[in-house]
Amino acid sequence: MNRVRVIIDKEWAEVLKNKMILYTAGLMPALFVVIPLVMLYMTNKEKGSLRGMESITSLPAFAGMDPKSAAQILLVNQFMFYFLMIPLIVPIFIASYSIIGEKQQRSLEPLLATPIRVWELLLGKVLAAALPAVALTWLAFAVYAVLARFVATDLVYGVIVSPMWLLALIVLAPLFTVLSVSLAVIISSRVNDVRLAEQIGGLLVLPFVAVSIAATAGKILLDFQMFALGALAVAFLDVAVVYVGAKLFQRETILTKWK
Amino acid sequence: MAIIQTEGLTKYYGPTLGVEDLSFQVEEGEVFGFLGPNGAGKTTTVRMLSCLVAPTRGRASVNGHRIGVENQAIRQIIGILTESPGLYEKLSAWKNLDIYARLYGLSGQLREKQVRRYLEMLGLWERRNETVGEFSKGMKQKMAIARALIHEPRVLFLDEPTAALDPEAARVVRHFIAELKTEGRTILLCTHNLDEADRLCDRIGVMKQHLIQVDTPANLRQRLYGRKIVVHLKALTEPLVAAVRSLPFIKSIERIDNQLVIGLDNPEEQNPILVLNLVQAGGQVQFVNELRHSLEEVYFSLIDGGKAA
Ligand SMILES: Nc1ncnc2c1ncn2[C@@H]1O[C@H](COP(=O)(O)OP(=O)(O)OP(=O)(O)O)[C@@H](O)[C@H]1O
Ligand SMILES: [Mg+2]
Repeated sequence: MNRVRVIIDKEWAEVLKNKMILYTAGLMPALFVVIPLVMLYMTNKEKGSLRGMESITSLPAFAGMDPKSAAQILLVNQFMFYFLMIPLIVPIFIASYSIIGEKQQRSLEPLLATPIRVWELLLGKVLAAALPAVALTWLAFAVYAVLARFVATDLVYGVIVSPMWLLALIVLAPLFTVLSVSLAVIISSRVNDVRLAEQIGGLLVLPFVAVSIAATAGKILLDFQMFALGALAVAFLDVAVVYVGAKLFQRETILTKWK
Repeated sequence: MAIIQTEGLTKYYGPTLGVEDLSFQVEEGEVFGFLGPNGAGKTTTVRMLSCLVAPTRGRASVNGHRIGVENQAIRQIIGILTESPGLYEKLSAWKNLDIYARLYGLSGQLREKQVRRYLEMLGLWERRNETVGEFSKGMKQKMAIARALIHEPRVLFLDEPTAALDPEAARVVRHFIAELKTEGRTILLCTHNLDEADRLCDRIGVMKQHLIQVDTPANLRQRLYGRKIVVHLKALTEPLVAAVRSLPFIKSIERIDNQLVIGLDNPEEQNPILVLNLVQAGGQVQFVNELRHSLEEVYFSLIDGGKAA
């Protein structure tokens, strides 16, 4: 386990030298906190109903609500989905930088000649990418939840800290990081350019974006059960991609088959 | 028992042959050179012996540990300098070595001592906090060597340690390897630099997919060409040539101006007799030298039957 810590330590030392990753990892959560807070604040001040928003109350999810609350809940939900993109995107950035960086520096061969076991190396890389992503997600949400108390109505605040979103953050977010890192491992074994890897990784966020749009538009009913099922599905997906990633992450494969 | 032993060691990459049927032994404390052209299988051999790739056939052991069975034990006692230095370019010299020292399980004080020892030994101590990416090629190579030594391995694999360096840097590295040799470490050195192999290696294995010959540089020369000496005379006359020819141990004789190029097996014993005979026949001997074939000639004749020599 000591060697896992050495790897994590090394990865972080390298990531701290990469401004691009630091900006991405810092900017994304900051925007996701600030924008919804500002919008909640602004919509609160607006008198009467919001123009053009009356129609959303016809959606089953918002049935019987006043249009302003419905609009705010829609906004809040949208941004909760954005929060969940942090654990999808940040690990891809960190992990593909780390693995492709090793490839470009040709540092894997001497590393693999040390007594480190490949699972220790892989685990180190996974944790190095996943831990900051989860921490960032939770930190951003904690800040958001505290500040939202001052700008959101009780009804809207109830949605922010609803069991389904808490479940999503506590269970789904870590599962997302595993998915994200494993995909980064798989992509990085084939691709030699960090940007390209990030872009391919970015494509993988699209299904999630589609789900989030469908959900906020009322096409999918958002509730605890749906998130529980979603988490289960992602967990299965995780097992599959971790399996493939671990298969690719073998000494000989890395040295002779990786392009 | 030999510290490295291989028997019929073979590696195929899919259908591509890497090396085939290697059987050799390296004794403890020996510097063993692998000499061969590009694609000969030098790196493949080192990778098998350092448990990075698995042999397709055959067996090998390092310090008595079987490859493929006790890989962890082998990894703990070997150090490797790979073809490219493979350093973490964004991290400092200190950090690069510290990471490896930790991976080998060196604890606090020992780790610090070792990192310092090698940074100082290779003249990089003053620059320990600088990012390695800014180092020159020679310095990077030194860093990679330091990294391979950080845990004091008993067996050291050096894959073309001077290939990418300018003559000056190559000399420094070569010098350092010569020093390591005096510490009694076993070194397996891959190179296509013949001069380097000649100077550093106790024995050389000439290879090209197969191991063609293994011997000391001197024996390789002799095995192929026998030994020759050159005798410079003040004046060379027919009777002198006849006097030499009459000696039973003379294998060949060649006349160039006032010099005789003579082939014989054992100059240490036979030269005095030869000189005595020449003098008795009235010859005035100026110099007697051994004619050394360059290892290059030996190498090319082994690799492709002398075509390129
Ligand atoms: N990953 C690989 N996949 C397929 N073939 C390989 C691979 N690595 C090496 N080979 C082949 O194995 C043979 C031996 O290669 P190797 O790299 O061991 O030679 P080498 O003696 O180290 O050469 P060089 O002097 O160029 O470093 C070559 O024909 C090479 O093409
Ligand atoms: Mg090679």
